[in-house]
Amino acid sequence: MVDDKRMHKIPDEVEYTDKHSDDFRGDVREHGFQFVGYDWAPEEEQFKIYLHYDQLYYWKLAELSKMGKGFLDGELWGTKCPKCGDKFFPPRVNCWNLDCNLEKTEWIKLKPEGHVHTFTIAGWSGKSSLKRLPFVLAYVVIDGCQTAVANELRGIDPWDAEFGMPVKVVWADPKDRRGTITDFWFEPADGWKPSPMNPEKERIKELCQPVYEWVKTLK
Amino acid sequence: MSRKVCIAGGATTPFGYPMHLTPEAMIANCIVETQQDIPDFHLRDLDLMIYSHFSVHFGKQLCPEWVVHDHLGLVGVPHFRVENGGNTGGSALYAAFLAVKSGLFDVVGVAGWETMDNVTQSQGSEFIALASDTRYEALAGGIYPIYYAAMAYKFMKEHNLTEEDFALAAIKNRNYAADNPKSQWYRGEYKKYNRDLTIDDVMQSRLISYPLKRYDCCLMSRGGSFALVTSEEWAKKHADGKYVLIDGAGLSSCTIRAGDRLSFPGWTERYGKGYPDMTEFAACRHSGEVAYDMAGIEYKKAVKEVDVAEIHDAFSSSETQIYKALHWCDKDNIREFVRERRTFMDGDVPVNPGGGLMGFGHPVGATGIMSAIEVYYQLTDMIPKKHRSSKTYVRDAQTGLVNSHAGTGTSISNFILRRP
Ligand SMILES: [Zn+2]
Repeated sequence: MVDDKRMHKIPDEVEYTDKHSDDFRGDVREHGFQFVGYDWAPEEEQFKIYLHYDQLYYWKLAELSKMGKGFLDGELWGTKCPKCGDKFFPPRVNCWNLDCNLEKTEWIKLKPEGHVHTFTIAGWSGKSSLKRLPFVLAYVVIDGCQTAVANELRGIDPWDAEFGMPVKVVWADPKDRRGTITDFWFEPADGWKPSPMNPEKERIKELCQPVYEWVKTLK
Repeated sequence: MSRKVCIAGGATTPFGYPMHLTPEAMIANCIVETQQDIPDFHLRDLDLMIYSHFSVHFGKQLCPEWVVHDHLGLVGVPHFRVENGGNTGGSALYAAFLAVKSGLFDVVGVAGWETMDNVTQSQGSEFIALASDTRYEALAGGIYPIYYAAMAYKFMKEHNLTEEDFALAAIKNRNYAADNPKSQWYRGEYKKYNRDLTIDDVMQSRLISYPLKRYDCCLMSRGGSFALVTSEEWAKKHADGKYVLIDGAGLSSCTIRAGDRLSFPGWTERYGKGYPDMTEFAACRHSGEVAYDMAGIEYKKAVKEVDVAEIHDAFSSSETQIYKALHWCDKDNIREFVRERRTFMDGDVPVNPGGGLMGFGHPVGATGIMSAIEVYYQLTDMIPKKHRSSKTYVRDAQTGLVNSHAGTGTSISNFILRRP
């Protein structure tokens, strides 16, 4: 093994003594391949098979573990390069500056606040997020970081979101936390008030209405 | 290196969702169509195969290229697959360019496909989002149209553009697709309208992610495409009058998370602090500059020198952003550039006469190759034969540009094609 300060230690063996799989894993069943049906169109001679596939994944956070544990504890941990001082959230475990030559970064606790760099109002999403529509996804620069992170902006009508608006980090109830980015979201900073309605806001509101209606029809 | 690289043939299947054709049959069909145009081309000529396929999730088949390769009877011929997100096709073409340019190979086949109709649209959106940093962005509900919308909204504000300005690209490409019998728009939803799509149609279509509506977005597709990349010697001998030169090729990269672009040191070094922010595609600008340099095109004159382009219009907004990244306009005149319709058929640089991703369709692994083949048809005067009419034929085009994108602009390639 090469001895270099920039290298990350790989433990020989990890024992997860503090186990929480039951809470989260629930009764997720691993089916693997399942053939669950077929269609046949005799006229065009077309045959189609239905294949279902399900799998439980493990995401090892390894060097990023401090971030995951921080989420559970309601703490936001980012990293900082000791050489150039660049600050990151999402954390980078080596510096991005080529001149810093993969300098290992240090963990720093970030202030749970920032400002909206840009945002959008989602009216369509992936299968697992459809019921939350319409939601605001905002790219927020947290506590002077050099990067912006995407997460949901709640506590606001979608058409009231603004570029540059100050936001705070709000944590999910401790029992609902999973050690992931969805353990927190953004809300307008205390004291922030939306500007009055204007044509652009009216337009966005009008675009959102059918989405609200459509979501109600989802089972 | 003086050796020149050519595209000496190629074809695309119809694109559809759903469509009933296996990947091996798609590529076989494309090769057969190529042989109709280039009768001298035989499977025995191929000395390398590069397969272009994005996601094995759609087929539940690792190494599906091995299935296709066997099927073509090419066992023994070297092969590998390129995967580079939405830029898979462009990257496979780039690999073929390198292979021929190096002098190691003379005739390289580039075959790409995607079978996105194997899952539902919302599941498909989620599969594609697996190409983003899932630990942060996808988990928070993000999918690509959402990321692009956040970038587009800021771009729109900073460049004083409107939803209607973006919509121009959306109607242009779909209305051109109506002239292309293989396009998904013509074969599908066009039947409902049977007329040109209007700005109003776009404005009234369903919200996807503000400022993007349904008609601002490309189509999820099944389809395949094939390109024959050869040495100039082979092309002259076997495809005389039906080949083009790849005079410039560029490939560049940007961050996977769009939020990491605000002050990325690599970009600060090249283009100054705060570039590209979340509004421009730096990898497009850079790979475009590399391709222009190779082809001897001055950046400021590019809009005059490029006669036709097929660019990666995953979204109407991204097509508009690309105009600027390719130096066709700048912050000060982009509004006029868009509103004067300079990328329409009768403008300076017709863009996506083949229909683009919004009209022809976007089966990821096939897309970049499809774009290159459309430009190849333009420069070899084959459009009247391949499209429904000459409406989308750019006469006397000498120089074409092909652009292919991935991620949120995470990998981008640009090619300059010219008549020999
Ligand atoms: Zn550093």
